[in-house]
Amino acid sequence: MLYRASHLWARVELVCAAALAASVTGLILLNVVTRAAGNAIYWVDEAAIYAMVWMTFLAASAAIHFRSAIAVTLVNEMLDGHGARMLERVVDLVLFIFACLMVWICLRWFMPLELMRAGWDVKAFQGQTFNFIYAEPTNTLGLPKVWVWLVMPLFTLGALLHSAANLFYPGRHPEAETAQ
Amino acid sequence: MTPILFLVLLFASVPIALVLALTALWYIYDSGNLVLYDSFAQQMFAGVENYGLLAIPLFILTGELMNEGGMTQRLVRAARVFVGGFRGGLAYINLLANMFMAAIIGSAASQIAVMSRAMVPAMKEEGYDPGFAAATTAAGGLLAPVIPPSMLFVIYGVLAQLPIGDLFIAGIIPGLIMAGSFFIVVALIGLSQQFPKGDWMTMPQALRALRDALPAFLIPLAIVGGILFGIATPTESAAVASLIAFGVGWLVYREIHIRDLGAMFARTATNSSLVIFMIAAANVFGWVVIYEELPQKLAAFLSTVTSDPFTFLLIVNLCLLFVGMLIDGIAALILITPILLPIAMNSYGISPYQFGVVISLNLVLGLLTPPVGVGLYIASAMSGVRPFTIFTALWPFLLAVAVVLVMLSYFPILSTALI
Amino acid sequence: KEFRLGLITPPPHTWTKAAEAFGAELSEKSGGAHSVSVFPARQLGNEAQMLQQLQTGALDMAFMTVAEVSNRVPNMGAFYAPYLAKDINHASAILRSDTARGMLAVLPQEAGVVGVGYGSAGMRQILSRGAVNSAADLSGLKLRITPFDPILDFYNALGAAPTPMPLPAVYDALANGQVDAIDMDVELINVLKYHEHADTLLISNHMMFPMVGLISARVYAGLSDADKAMISELMAKHVDSTLDVYMAKEPEWTDALTKVGKTFKRVDQDFFGDAIAQWETIWADKAPSLPELRKTAADLQ
Ligand code: NA
Ligand code: NA
Repeated sequence: MLYRASHLWARVELVCAAALAASVTGLILLNVVTRAAGNAIYWVDEAAIYAMVWMTFLAASAAIHFRSAIAVTLVNEMLDGHGARMLERVVDLVLFIFACLMVWICLRWFMPLELMRAGWDVKAFQGQTFNFIYAEPTNTLGLPKVWVWLVMPLFTLGALLHSAANLFYPGRHPEAETAQ
Repeated sequence: MTPILFLVLLFASVPIALVLALTALWYIYDSGNLVLYDSFAQQMFAGVENYGLLAIPLFILTGELMNEGGMTQRLVRAARVFVGGFRGGLAYINLLANMFMAAIIGSAASQIAVMSRAMVPAMKEEGYDPGFAAATTAAGGLLAPVIPPSMLFVIYGVLAQLPIGDLFIAGIIPGLIMAGSFFIVVALIGLSQQFPKGDWMTMPQALRALRDALPAFLIPLAIVGGILFGIATPTESAAVASLIAFGVGWLVYREIHIRDLGAMFARTATNSSLVIFMIAAANVFGWVVIYEELPQKLAAFLSTVTSDPFTFLLIVNLCLLFVGMLIDGIAALILITPILLPIAMNSYGISPYQFGVVISLNLVLGLLTPPVGVGLYIASAMSGVRPFTIFTALWPFLLAVAVVLVMLSYFPILSTALI
Repeated sequence: KEFRLGLITPPPHTWTKAAEAFGAELSEKSGGAHSVSVFPARQLGNEAQMLQQLQTGALDMAFMTVAEVSNRVPNMGAFYAPYLAKDINHASAILRSDTARGMLAVLPQEAGVVGVGYGSAGMRQILSRGAVNSAADLSGLKLRITPFDPILDFYNALGAAPTPMPLPAVYDALANGQVDAIDMDVELINVLKYHEHADTLLISNHMMFPMVGLISARVYAGLSDADKAMISELMAKHVDSTLDVYMAKEPEWTDALTKVGKTFKRVDQDFFGDAIAQWETIWADKAPSLPELRKTAADLQ
């Protein structure tokens, strides 16, 4: 169940990442066309950059599920079957610990509980916590930056789901159909 | 404790990006500056928030489209017309094609990814040792950031406040010297082991190969033309290149189908994320390290050792070689430049162009040196050859780069002549 | 305590030197109790990132363009009113006024930083590839700007196509015509030789480009009253010293540009026609301090 949820979510992450990769290309080409027409659009660069950031973190989370991230496999290759499996369990555990730490870090960063206690009043919240992330603007998009930053908690939850699934269902190696 | 944790995680085959992130997390705890945890995720995000990095997915997409659309194969086939019948012809074709691609692509990691998939299977098929095939391709990829355009030079230019155009020009001679040294290495290896020999094409075959490859030459033309006539920035020209690669593969060669585009974009996302996510982690790692002023302390020590510019550069080279083992390319460059460049310029009177070329080339070398060598692992993932096998075939090329580095350190003119 | 101070300028730049002088004097005046490590050349991140680190308290201090602060506190956009100052000396006098200093009061609540005082970079000028004989010639030009609202509104009012572009891309973009003109100061035009690929230099002094010395409000709250006073006073002094540097150097840089063999033109606010009035309408709402700042500027002339 947990594993199927992880697999399904990884597929969703990849589909979104692919769409974002396409929009990066589209936005940059849009920039070329509009500037050649003497009508440069102010916000295109920033939009392209954020599309790339979202693509990166979504695909990075999916890479945990597919175990396709780049690693130094020197020792792993020298071990026998049993040792290699043990080492893989250790790595799964380390990844799970990392995901838990990221949950804690995102909570420190977004402070959702304190925001709720302040009655969702950003000004009051800022006065109490000196945390200004909900007031941070984007440079050119006219969008609060916190919407863009949401990819970090999204990445964190994905990493938590995938690493937990890998931890509880060891030895599964889903075919990373898009990794090669 | 921190270095030990780093090495243990690294050799336990934890993904490199997470090794960097976890080490940074531990180092913050160890140094007691717990307030850094509040900025940690934000700093990780910020490492990717960079216009220059947009070139990575665009370069990878261009490579995908060139491969899927049959363009790379036709280019390689066209190169065979000229040297295909010679012993070791395909190895030289590999280097030639890499030089050609380096004029399109600005990042070694992307070029290694693209070329490994195109060249290694072709060389294996003709009977070359797979390790040698992958090593030649990986070494050829090092030309990408030296022959313009170059992402590393863009980033160095930002840090050193130098005109990027001049920096690109500074890379031309070193790039050619490097390519020359690789040809020599391949020739020397050819003397000690017998390379397979291909067949010469018949006249009609040769003509057809050349004609087929013609549309592929549109891409470098579009890039150079786009930049020269002010239609596109170097990053944008990568997008234009991908558009042309798509157009040619879809309409001329008819090998790309619209239904394949989704999978291609998914591969682009996955493969660029592998690289960019590492840059994000390296950024947060570098931030913590700089925050604790570790590099400054190292630099202060360096300047007490010598007063001779060449000796200084040699020491820098050795240190960077070591740094390059652990941190690669862009991340290391961002880490090193602000600290070493002022010392190089002010204490030793070294030209910032020469210094930029030397440290960029050195840090690119780090892409291929274990234990952390992104290029090595990309070449392995793309070619299916194990990293260790590639590395055993790679060291003559690394040695050649080291010799080139010493030359560039000794003769500033090699970097500054064309500016 | 060892303070960390971040800025985006490279080590030889005026701002970095001022930061180092501040550190030296602080450590001397405090008898070694305090010291400052300077992190130049955006080692700790760009200005937006440094501002966020100031807010969390990860970074203690920064010298930062007012442009970055104005993205969060729009009232600071008032400094970018076209022809608020007629030249660098006038700009310095405005930045040293009580009106200007008073605008810093809201920074702790609105941006989580304490502003101690202003410094400067040079005045903004326009460098163009083609001839520019009237403001109408700027209309339709692709013109490179630093991305922040006040300058965007100014060039939009002129009918130009403002193109945001990071500094490192500017030289090539100008050389090969990706942009037709750039908004720049005389220091960087000299240092980075942008004039090599342009025909016309408009010494317009259309806008000032102030800098502000910042301390993290979190860090500041934890200091003793005596330390608060000593640190703010010393930092304000050294930030202010950059004004003197630009007042001394700007004429030299401008003079050097008369000798590069390009069309060199001095223009004033009449040249830009009603674009300035248009800007004023937009910013009257966004920056409540604008009328008072205009008045102070007039008094100081
Ligand atoms: Na290149
Ligand atoms: Na390495």
